[in-house]
Amino acid sequence: MEAGRRQFIAGLLATGLVPRPAWADAGSPSFLSAAALPDGTYVLCGIDADLNITFQLPLPARGHAAAAHPLKPEAIAFARRPGTFAIVIDCTTGVQKAILNAPTGRHFYGHGAFSADGTLLYTTENDYEAGRGRIGVWDVASGYVRIDEWDSGGIGPHDIKRLPDSDVLVVANGGIDTHPDSGRTKLNISTMKPNLSYVQNGTVIETVELPPEMHKNSIRHLAVSQDGHVAFGMQWQGDGVPLSLVGQHYRGGEIDLMQATPDQMRDMQGYVGSIAYVEEDITIAVTSPRGGAIQFYETASSQCIGSLFTVDVSGVAAIRNGFLLTSGTGELASWAKADLVSSRKEVVQWDNHLVSV
Amino acid sequence: MRRILLAAAVACAPLTATANPSISAIIDDHILPRFEALASTSQALSKAAMQNCDPTSDDLRTAYGVAFDVWVSTSHLRLGPTEVDDRAFALAFWPDSRGATPRALATLISDEDPIGLDAAAYSEVSIAARGFYALEFLLYDETLMQPSEYHCALVQTVTTDIAATSSAIHDDWHSHKDVLLSPGPDATYRSEEEVLQEMLRALTAGLQFTQDSRLGRPLGTFDRPQPARAEARRSGRSAKHVTLSLMSLQDLASHLSVSDANLSDTLNRQFEDALGKLATLNDPVFAGVADPQSRLKIEVIGQSIGTIRTTVQTELGPTLGVAAGFNSLDGD
Repeated sequence: MEAGRRQFIAGLLATGLVPRPAWADAGSPSFLSAAALPDGTYVLCGIDADLNITFQLPLPARGHAAAAHPLKPEAIAFARRPGTFAIVIDCTTGVQKAILNAPTGRHFYGHGAFSADGTLLYTTENDYEAGRGRIGVWDVASGYVRIDEWDSGGIGPHDIKRLPDSDVLVVANGGIDTHPDSGRTKLNISTMKPNLSYVQNGTVIETVELPPEMHKNSIRHLAVSQDGHVAFGMQWQGDGVPLSLVGQHYRGGEIDLMQATPDQMRDMQGYVGSIAYVEEDITIAVTSPRGGAIQFYETASSQCIGSLFTVDVSGVAAIRNGFLLTSGTGELASWAKADLVSSRKEVVQWDNHLVSV
Repeated sequence: MRRILLAAAVACAPLTATANPSISAIIDDHILPRFEALASTSQALSKAAMQNCDPTSDDLRTAYGVAFDVWVSTSHLRLGPTEVDDRAFALAFWPDSRGATPRALATLISDEDPIGLDAAAYSEVSIAARGFYALEFLLYDETLMQPSEYHCALVQTVTTDIAATSSAIHDDWHSHKDVLLSPGPDATYRSEEEVLQEMLRALTAGLQFTQDSRLGRPLGTFDRPQPARAEARRSGRSAKHVTLSLMSLQDLASHLSVSDANLSDTLNRQFEDALGKLATLNDPVFAGVADPQSRLKIEVIGQSIGTIRTTVQTELGPTLGVAAGFNSLDGD
């Protein structure tokens, strides 16, 4: 009987008919976010469309962002810079499937992206002795074995995203040189030069930079629209109020810096924590936990068209007809246009990023 | 404007105190005296180098120590005039994880690069070859202090450059103080609260730098302590820098906490605790990081600074309208 059952399953496997776990089996989370618990430990949470927490998995240290596999209910939770671990989590069972350790001489920056077919994972890393940004390439099928390493096209690569319907990666090279022996001390502010680099198969195929007077504007976080526009949020390392904190780029073109009034610029305190395209890509939403502010930029006019204020807000993601915000206070709030649709407060501190699955 | 102020909550802790910290007192008693002293002691350093450029000269080394002391006491005030043309970096390029300073100086010396003879043009060299940390190599590093005609001229050029930078910062503060004193809707700062928040940032960043870099670099990890990474160890100044910076930050903290006597007492006690431990350490270059027993004493000093930082973030910040948020304090 038992043997027969095994044979039956083997037969199914051979025909490829066994249903593989899909994202629906993970309680269909719509979002992932790292968080801190009241007892000081850290977790990765799945969040569904109704703002319920669908799972809560422990992390060994503070997380930053996560990357969801495009097909399987599997997520990678990245350690916060300068962490050296990333954890592969089966979101259906809550089991840690694998752990990625940064190779000697490298640390992660906290972001990663999958290839279109889900066979490769790309991670942003620091080759800290050389002071050079790298992209780690990991083979998913063999259990996340590191198979290659590419130049990121700059210093301090932070966020990384894949352009739609292609395997072109876009990397935010923040430009800031750090070395773990000095914690997060910034070593090259006077000479930093951030850029946006497009990488395909290990080759940097396009790089765009900011105008020279903005060289202290660290390009940090990215969002990609359905038609391949790249929105980026910056963090100002210079004195005073920056000219802009948000930009947009389309391959082959020039950088388009978004405009805001001086007052609106000051509301952000020189800092964008997260960025997302919302409302069918006609609006870019950016958050500033320092300013407790969310700003909305109209892509058509490149202008700031409004603001919201919420204490310690950071995570932002698009939902149907609106957007979802998370805050360090534990608040989760969904908005449609200018209206608060629903909100709830969890006894966690939501960390930097809210990732759509 | 579709969406304005629809907020669920706006961060603005109530000011519990009767008197707010005085911006003019911070400028007159904390900021200006430091930059004035920086300009005058840097000028004296440059003169000393003109009179005697021998790296072992007592007069030169003393003048160097006096001016460097002032810089360390000033180094947290990273706003306005220090940020123009990267002047603060031109005075203080440290930490230097990749050894850019000795490399740049060695190249200048071996090439006898004429730019090393030209104080006016020297601002064009690598920023790593300028300022107090570069001068330390020229005065105290066995290899880079070897006297020669070129070395003498380079010492004079570097000190003249330091004096020029310090004097430019000091000059600019005369007008920049008005920026801090006149907040308004269209000004750099919109309110007094924003000015005080800028001062709070200076305090926070100063504490972080002292804990993470001045102490954290030599501490390294338990398995891999890094005594050779101690700040200005060649001139034996590492622990002194921690003391000087803490004393200066204590002064700023007392200005900022003036409206809350209990908080002011707490901060004072925490600063005194850290300073007291430093005073009895008796390890000027933190060489003890490599020995488990003496290492513990240095780690404890770091923890004392961590305690001050927590008080500043969770108690002082809210009195100045800065909420101690999980993401706002420590984002990435």
